[in-house]
Amino acid sequence: MSNHTTLERKSATETPLSAVRGRLDVAATARQAGLVGVILVLVLGFGLARPLFLDGGNLMNILLQASVVGVLALGQTFVLITGGIDLSIGSTVAMCAVVSGLLSHSLPVPLAIIGGIAVGALAGLVNGLLITMTNITPFIVTLGSMSIYAGIALIIAGGQAVYDIPTGFQDALAGRIAGVPIPVLLFVLLTIVAAVCLKRTVFGEHLTAVGGNAEVARLAGINVKRYTAAAYVLSGAAAGLAGTILVARLGAADPTLGADLLLTAIAATVMGGTKLAGGEGSMYGAAFGAIIIATLTAGLTTLNVQAFYQQVAVGSAIIIALLIDQVARGRR
Amino acid sequence: MTTDRPMLEIKKLSKSFPGVRALHEVDLTAYPGEIHALLGENGAGKSTLLKTLFGVQQPDSGEVWFEGERRSFSQPSDALHAGLAMVHQELSLVPQFTAVQNVVLGREKARAGFIDWREARERAEKSLGRLGFDARMDIPVRRLSVAQQQLVEIARALAVGARLIILDEPTASLTTQESEQLFALLERLRAEGRGIIYVSHRLAEVMALSDRVTVLRDGTLVGTRTRAEIKNETDLVKLMVGRNVDAISRVERSEGPGEEILRIEGLSSAEGVADCSLSVRRGEIVGLAGMVGAGRTELVRGLIGADRVTGGAVWIRGERVHIGSPADAVKAGIAFLPEDRKHQGLVLHMSAASNATLIKPPRRRGLLDRRAQREQTRALLTQLNADIDPGYPVGKLSGGTQQKVVLARWLKTASDIFIFDEPTRGVDVGAKGEIHALIRELAEEGKAIVMVSSDLPEVIGMSDRVVVMRRGRIVAELSRSQISEEAIVHHAAAS
Repeated sequence: MSNHTTLERKSATETPLSAVRGRLDVAATARQAGLVGVILVLVLGFGLARPLFLDGGNLMNILLQASVVGVLALGQTFVLITGGIDLSIGSTVAMCAVVSGLLSHSLPVPLAIIGGIAVGALAGLVNGLLITMTNITPFIVTLGSMSIYAGIALIIAGGQAVYDIPTGFQDALAGRIAGVPIPVLLFVLLTIVAAVCLKRTVFGEHLTAVGGNAEVARLAGINVKRYTAAAYVLSGAAAGLAGTILVARLGAADPTLGADLLLTAIAATVMGGTKLAGGEGSMYGAAFGAIIIATLTAGLTTLNVQAFYQQVAVGSAIIIALLIDQVARGRR
Repeated sequence: MTTDRPMLEIKKLSKSFPGVRALHEVDLTAYPGEIHALLGENGAGKSTLLKTLFGVQQPDSGEVWFEGERRSFSQPSDALHAGLAMVHQELSLVPQFTAVQNVVLGREKARAGFIDWREARERAEKSLGRLGFDARMDIPVRRLSVAQQQLVEIARALAVGARLIILDEPTASLTTQESEQLFALLERLRAEGRGIIYVSHRLAEVMALSDRVTVLRDGTLVGTRTRAEIKNETDLVKLMVGRNVDAISRVERSEGPGEEILRIEGLSSAEGVADCSLSVRRGEIVGLAGMVGAGRTELVRGLIGADRVTGGAVWIRGERVHIGSPADAVKAGIAFLPEDRKHQGLVLHMSAASNATLIKPPRRRGLLDRRAQREQTRALLTQLNADIDPGYPVGKLSGGTQQKVVLARWLKTASDIFIFDEPTRGVDVGAKGEIHALIRELAEEGKAIVMVSSDLPEVIGMSDRVVVMRRGRIVAELSRSQISEEAIVHHAAAS
């Protein structure tokens, strides 16, 4: 009897029925399940058309293709969550590739790699400081630094690719452990680390609050500028790592790398459910987004679809993904 | 009046969301030359009713008839063109545009492809002048007061030829004087034969202004009454909540306030606060009264380091403290509950749990402890009498519950000083009483409380002492026995 009255009182206040449906963690899990579903459908679809597509080596190769974009997308997610954007990551990739390539000529391999990543973090710090110390918007600051970093890459490389990368460098970042390419291992590992960082640490919680509403965060005593700058440092460091991975994979540091990486990374990020407006984002989503784009590209290549048509298909997929997401959000 | 043909007829309108029946067969009839009040607690269905009427959302069933025609608007601009205008609680002007640009927006007249600004200006002057608009028309409207912006919005509605105007809580951020000017204007529009639907939480206004009142509760129609059928505000409250709610009554507290906790001397800020001094003691509620724009919010924002301070000093428990940022204020034990919860109090799409534990999220082995976060929040909110799922996004909660989430955030801190800025703005009648009780409880526990409020009954009912501000300065301090509506208004308005 008393049970009955408690229930009644509850339903009179704030509708627990919708509460279950509207819970944020439930919604996020649903979106990720959807992305995994898309990957499965793509893989099975291409596999039906071309059974060789399902070959383990091919699938691993897709993950390898996804890993560089994926690492960039993880970094970009930190930035997008603050409500900013980092347009400089493509150029940062090139700059860090060149720096680590040149360093590898005179320094031990680990230091060359660390040097490349550190330059990326520094490039991010410059972005972060410019954005937080001035009133210039992230779009403009990173548009400027995109050009600056691209220029620096060309200047220090003397306008051409840096060759003679030591094999130790290539083994360290492009080798395999237990048959799995190291970039893939790094990608998986960093996805988990970034996801834990975002959802399970105070840093991630506060970063989300800063992006959701900077004034609320400030009034709650959170150092908004420090968090914002930190996001760009992470994005820059991710670009640095992506740059060194590319050097290892290609055996050369090309100073003109990167422009298409920027757009693909942003596409992967938003496909994964991160909002450009800030305050909402998912690392697993970004990783799945990168894998979806890589799968689509590889599958279309398998089907002998020309590169020009592939661009149209990938672009359409991004827009369709966001449309579906919007419809799903509207229903919740 | 009732012999007229109805202007607007809403018949059996229903709308459900997953898990919630927001509206159930609601009827409403509005006549020309009538001020029709729409009342209900938050969550009663007023907003949904208006949204479905204007086509922001589509009803599940039911009909809308406007001026004898069955209508179904698919967006607010369709309604506007039909002669049905809405003046929002959160104004919908283009903030960077001038009054002139806003009034003619969407209906600019062009000559050879160029906007004819002279004609636009004349048109805007005509419609604004008629409303008693006395501010500049050539500066961005964001630099105008809320009341002036509201006039611009009404002028825009009239310029399109709106015959029925719906105002959603128009006086929520107006001063008493501004409200009275608005009422005079509404009465003039009524005399012109326009229909007015007026949504408000302020029962005194409803009693003074409206010809008829329609009350919603839990998405259903309680009924429509003529003004003559309603004896007093208590009748309205009964209709709204279905039970009796006491008006804010002054509570004599067991003991007087204790030692001084907070002392501000000569505080000035870049936002216009000039040489303000204030002292608050343990267990004391100090009301900060004044017109909107008198500098009350700016004073408390200066105190907590949210605005740049240009002079003055702050002591907490006798110790001089330097507060240069809100982070310093948090450390000094000052809790600030801002007026604008949606923009300054809550991260709307984060969960209630994330919002409630924002200052010091619980950790376990270096990681955020989500379970503790939920449990702490649930416990706090239960303590505050809000029974909700902590995982639910806070943007979807009612105003009163949102305020409780903000309060929960500060209860977790060791704050001794609580600053409430308009604690019950946008909060329904039932939750209002609860929030008042919570503020009193905090005082009983020995917190020092500063309460900024434009709601005079609230200031009078709650405060042990009232400090009145005008133009950035403190102009009067009223002890408990001196507090009265007349005294506050006198000091707030005197020039």
